[in-house]
Amino acid sequence: MNFDFSDDQYLFHDSVRDFLGDRWSVAKLRTHLEGSGFDDALWRDLSELGLLAMLVPEEHGGLGLGYVDLALVLEEFGRHLVPGPAVETMLATDIIVRYGTPEQRAALCPAIASGALRIAPAIAEVEAGFDLDQTAAVAVSSGDGWLLSGRKILVPYADSVDRLLVVARFGEAGPLGLVLVEPGRAGITMRPHSLLDIASRAHEVVLDGVATGRGDVVGGGPSPDAVLRLADGGAVAASAQMAGVAGKVLDLAVDYANQRIQFGKPIGSLQAIKHRCADMLASLETGRTAAYYAAWALADDPPERARIVSMAKAFCGDAARSICNEGLQIHGGIGFTWELDIHLYLRRAKALEYAFGDAATHRERVMSATLLEMEAA
Amino acid sequence: MDFSYSPEEEAFRSEVRAWIAANLPDGWGRVVHEPEDEDARYMFRLDWEKKLYAGGWAGLSWPKEYGGQGATLVQQAILAEELARAEAPEGLNIIGRNLTAPTLIHHGSEAQRRRFLPPILSGEEVWCQGFSEPNAGSDLASIRTTAIRDGDHFVINGQKTWTSFAQYAQWCFMLVRTDPAAPKHKGISFLLVDMASPGITIRPLRQISGESEFNETFFDDVRVPVANLVGGLNEGWKIAMTTLTYERGPEDALARQIRFKRDLMRLIQTARTLPRGRGKTAIDDPVLRQKLASSVIEIELMRLNCLRSFSKQLQGKPLGPESSFQKLYWSHTAQRMYETALETLGPTAVLAAGDPLVPGDGQFQTGFLQSRAFTIYSGTSEIQRNIIAERVLGMPR
Repeated sequence: MNFDFSDDQYLFHDSVRDFLGDRWSVAKLRTHLEGSGFDDALWRDLSELGLLAMLVPEEHGGLGLGYVDLALVLEEFGRHLVPGPAVETMLATDIIVRYGTPEQRAALCPAIASGALRIAPAIAEVEAGFDLDQTAAVAVSSGDGWLLSGRKILVPYADSVDRLLVVARFGEAGPLGLVLVEPGRAGITMRPHSLLDIASRAHEVVLDGVATGRGDVVGGGPSPDAVLRLADGGAVAASAQMAGVAGKVLDLAVDYANQRIQFGKPIGSLQAIKHRCADMLASLETGRTAAYYAAWALADDPPERARIVSMAKAFCGDAARSICNEGLQIHGGIGFTWELDIHLYLRRAKALEYAFGDAATHRERVMSATLLEMEAA
Repeated sequence: MDFSYSPEEEAFRSEVRAWIAANLPDGWGRVVHEPEDEDARYMFRLDWEKKLYAGGWAGLSWPKEYGGQGATLVQQAILAEELARAEAPEGLNIIGRNLTAPTLIHHGSEAQRRRFLPPILSGEEVWCQGFSEPNAGSDLASIRTTAIRDGDHFVINGQKTWTSFAQYAQWCFMLVRTDPAAPKHKGISFLLVDMASPGITIRPLRQISGESEFNETFFDDVRVPVANLVGGLNEGWKIAMTTLTYERGPEDALARQIRFKRDLMRLIQTARTLPRGRGKTAIDDPVLRQKLASSVIEIELMRLNCLRSFSKQLQGKPLGPESSFQKLYWSHTAQRMYETALETLGPTAVLAAGDPLVPGDGQFQTGFLQSRAFTIYSGTSEIQRNIIAERVLGMPR
């Protein structure tokens, strides 16, 4: 029993934090308001630091680490508003490593580890949202393979990645599985979304009878467990990033309150302000607790994984929402200006809050799991 | 990071579980319950505490030289979980175990530790806490109770309030003013007072729950040997901060979490069977499910917050002002849960214990009333927020 990170994990975290502090900034992120939003220099830096190799096994040229090792890194990504598709590629890596065929692992893992292969999950749909049970995209058996059709939304950086990892049903009422396809394959069209998180990119992707073979399907056939794990991984990554965004916003709010003079004194000396900040800290620290525990649940895979992951997504979603709103409020009028960075944090937190299911969805999942556990006891 | 238990820890758990099953009364929790009468209930709890001591389970993680077992915090947490699982009685000497003991371990003399720690564990000496006064609540440092040196004694005069368990206590630790001329934080000392001393009068205060756990305590020329001064003269404020850190800390919170979770599980069980008309039960209500789920999440995270603090302690990092966030967090979490409990009961929320139609024998109404104190005692939420803002976030006074 030990709820703390190891010295090595803290050291790795320090190096990522220092690196992002030196080489990345919100000013650079602001250059992403135009163009493809894909940052070549940042991507090269992240691969040189070994971040894309973290989840790749050592036998395939990676570091052989897991989600607990990743937790503090993801938090730092949130804190620094690191754009995709790095986290998305990490989520896909975990799935390929665990559920891919030996051939798929051998073909894809070394490329991922070296930064040569970028992947984006395609999960959400217009009607289903992130509710996997409602997935309408379908792979229909055809000869040796399947014809893949469906309409996916919110596919991150779909025009900058090398593969899409598409959640689809195998047969009309069949089990779910995952298909890897190049975004340029015949039958795929896409259009960029206009997004609330203006420095990010995501696309609507339409698949119309895309021809796929057994080698394109993760594990060679339907794999409902892999789909669930992909969604849980996304929820944990979003939770850890939200903790990072919220932690940064609290720091910005405290710094501002300590130097902004009104009524002849720093507004940070007023209880109306300090008490808000104290409440923000209590939510932030508990959110971290939830996100770290959920990262452990992904790494260790206990039977109650779904409940633990949903606890984190629900709590961190609510915490990030209130911390970002309060943080902006503490800044007063300047907080409402385009020039100040705080709206970029607010926007990112909002995107993460809805990614992989909102807080209400995850609370319902916690309730169902709790009732099932009670019945089993 | 690792949330599994070692084979040794699992063996320890089996041993604890077997002992508890063999030592609780036959039919406990089904046909045998705690006595209804308040005095009898507290004595029943004290008896259970003595039984735990006789069984070798008291002070598990305390140092061996003071009667403890030198066990790990994990073993202590396992014991707490197993006691909760069996719904065993709480003890009575909570203040002695959780507050007096760590305070003396940090600041007491060797003679004081040897004199006072073993009888806390054995349940022979129950403790109460003399901090608050009628005019010193959130502004604790403004206490007026005086202690004036007279030979090898201090003579105490004044009044303390909210003195929980004073009526059962053999000893009281208290804050007294020993230098009225000094700035208010610098004229306070920390004394250990024998409750059998002449000049002490206890008057029970009735709480909104109808119980009388706490009291007003009056001191008229009460003589206390100088040897019962903890730390140096006029150094009491610093010592009080240690006491308050433990009062607000993770060990206290973990024990509470176990009780809150038990009540929450009973609540969900009630919601599954409570009819809401049209063949539905309370648990079918999607709005209520959201609120119950929030409580499931928040109460579980209360436990994990404690484990995070424990892990920090295990590595020798001391508890600091950040423990204030735990108390702020759990007190509001628990209040929300008991509000949701009443919402779950719907129209029967307004019934109380004794009415044949009240679900759960009125325990949720009692829990609700008791929960109103959570954000007041051991430092109001407003005081906790000041501490967090100033000492953790570094905001100006």
